[in-house]
Amino acid sequence: MVAPIASDHAVRGSTLTLREVSHRFDLEGQPLPVLDRISLQVGRGEFVALLGPSGCGKSTLLRLVAGLDTPTAGALLTEGREIEAPDPSRVVVFQDPTLYPWRTVWSNVALGLEARGLLPTHRGRVEDALRLVGLTGFANAYPHQLSGGMAQRAALARALVNDPKLLILDEPLGQLDSLTRIAMQAELVSLWQRSNFTALLVTHDVEEALLLAGRVIVLSDRPARIKAEVLNSQPYPRHRGDPHFVELRREVFAHLGLDEAW
Amino acid sequence: MVAALAAFWPDRPETDWAYTGGFAIACGALALALALAAFAGVRFVAFQRLHRLSPWLFALALFLASWEAVTAKLGLLPLPFFPPPQAIVEVAIDDWRRLAEGIFASARLLATGYFLGAAAGFVTGVAIGWSRRAGYWIHPVLRFIGPLPATAWLPLAFFIFPSSFSASIFLIALATGFPVTVLTWSGVASVKSAYYDIARTLGATQRFLVLKVAIPAAMPHVFVGLFMGLGNSFAVLVVAEMLGVKAGLGWYLQWAQGWAAYANMYAALLLMAFLCSGLITLLFRLRDRLLSWQKGLVRW
Repeated sequence: MVAPIASDHAVRGSTLTLREVSHRFDLEGQPLPVLDRISLQVGRGEFVALLGPSGCGKSTLLRLVAGLDTPTAGALLTEGREIEAPDPSRVVVFQDPTLYPWRTVWSNVALGLEARGLLPTHRGRVEDALRLVGLTGFANAYPHQLSGGMAQRAALARALVNDPKLLILDEPLGQLDSLTRIAMQAELVSLWQRSNFTALLVTHDVEEALLLAGRVIVLSDRPARIKAEVLNSQPYPRHRGDPHFVELRREVFAHLGLDEAW
Repeated sequence: MVAALAAFWPDRPETDWAYTGGFAIACGALALALALAAFAGVRFVAFQRLHRLSPWLFALALFLASWEAVTAKLGLLPLPFFPPPQAIVEVAIDDWRRLAEGIFASARLLATGYFLGAAAGFVTGVAIGWSRRAGYWIHPVLRFIGPLPATAWLPLAFFIFPSSFSASIFLIALATGFPVTVLTWSGVASVKSAYYDIARTLGATQRFLVLKVAIPAAMPHVFVGLFMGLGNSFAVLVVAEMLGVKAGLGWYLQWAQGWAAYANMYAALLLMAFLCSGLITLLFRLRDRLLSWQKGLVRW
């Protein structure tokens, strides 16, 4: 367990509000709309999944939430304040772990603390985060010595060490083999349950969305629009074979227009 | 195998070259030492490293022997252009003071010029790679002047600078700076944008992005630039010493040729080969240390 940097332990997760958010890219002079008036309200400590086909603009939405880009229209707010720039209270775990190859696992995890000048006083947090993701023995390894799953764990530790109020997960398990993936899904849930952060997960895997999230937002093809919302109030750990789970999965596939294929 | 060398070396005909006896004895002693080491290798692991080297040692012995044969023994190659090996030994022993002075002068010039050039090139490269405005102003200058060989500046440099020493430093710095600048720049420019995204979401400042993300990520490129710059700097060093500075190994080469002292020339050449190769090795060692995180480094 990584102890919070701030002391307000009770209210750890932050709220997130999206108001009519639209975004488009300029591709050689041609406007390419990717997001179409997305409105969403995420409560404190909620786990929300954004589900949609590949290339529908999910990752763009996450970049906006992270503050890496600004939307063409609409507003994004957290705790009532507009998101204008990246902030360490909103940390992203990308699909590709993007560890810095010139740093050991330890100093990769320490990156956020170092960037904010907190490393001298909070060194212990790095070890805590490494223990949390089960990488204690690999603190001095370089990223090229890690397997895909271990690298993604390290990326997760690098995010968690900052005690985020909102954890943004951009298909974080997309590149893992199916066995590692199942194990990591369970770990993500238990991390979220223990740390109380708000989690926003982007995925194109229906089962993953339903296993992890309390609410699944189904997005349309590009430009992404909210097509449906599926609530899943089942307790954790959830099972793929559970009749209710199967029913929800059928419902989500129907929203994606894939009910016949299923 | 190594013992066979012992049979080769002491077998020298006496000629009128001074130090022939000494050379033969030295070779014989070396051969004996190697032979002993070869036998010791059977017992002691420390000597077994020599086994790997033995084909090379043998080739070297063959080379020295044939050199000795065609010069001192058979006189097949014309004198004074091709002196026998013992003549070079003679130079090394009789003229070591001047050679040492030459090494010192060359090293001082090279080190000053190289470090100034590398530092300036590195800073310029980071500036162009990072800042659009710096790129706008520096890039055209770099494109226009960079490809010009540094030696082309030679007449102008000796005219502008107060001393030939400072002029040479300028030329060496120029020759080093260009490849370092270009490769540092390309290194910084090719850093994955995801690296910056990660650091930015974790609260990094611009300063942090430059110092802790852009520069470390660009280091493999920077080292290629440093390597190319070092090669360039050797070339400019020798030319500058031959044409301007009245000191150093380049000047010694020129001077020896002027006196038709070809043995001295070979001695200086040999020394230069050792020094240049040594410096490149040093640079690669440094790189291996600093970039140990990289996979599949080229071994020098």
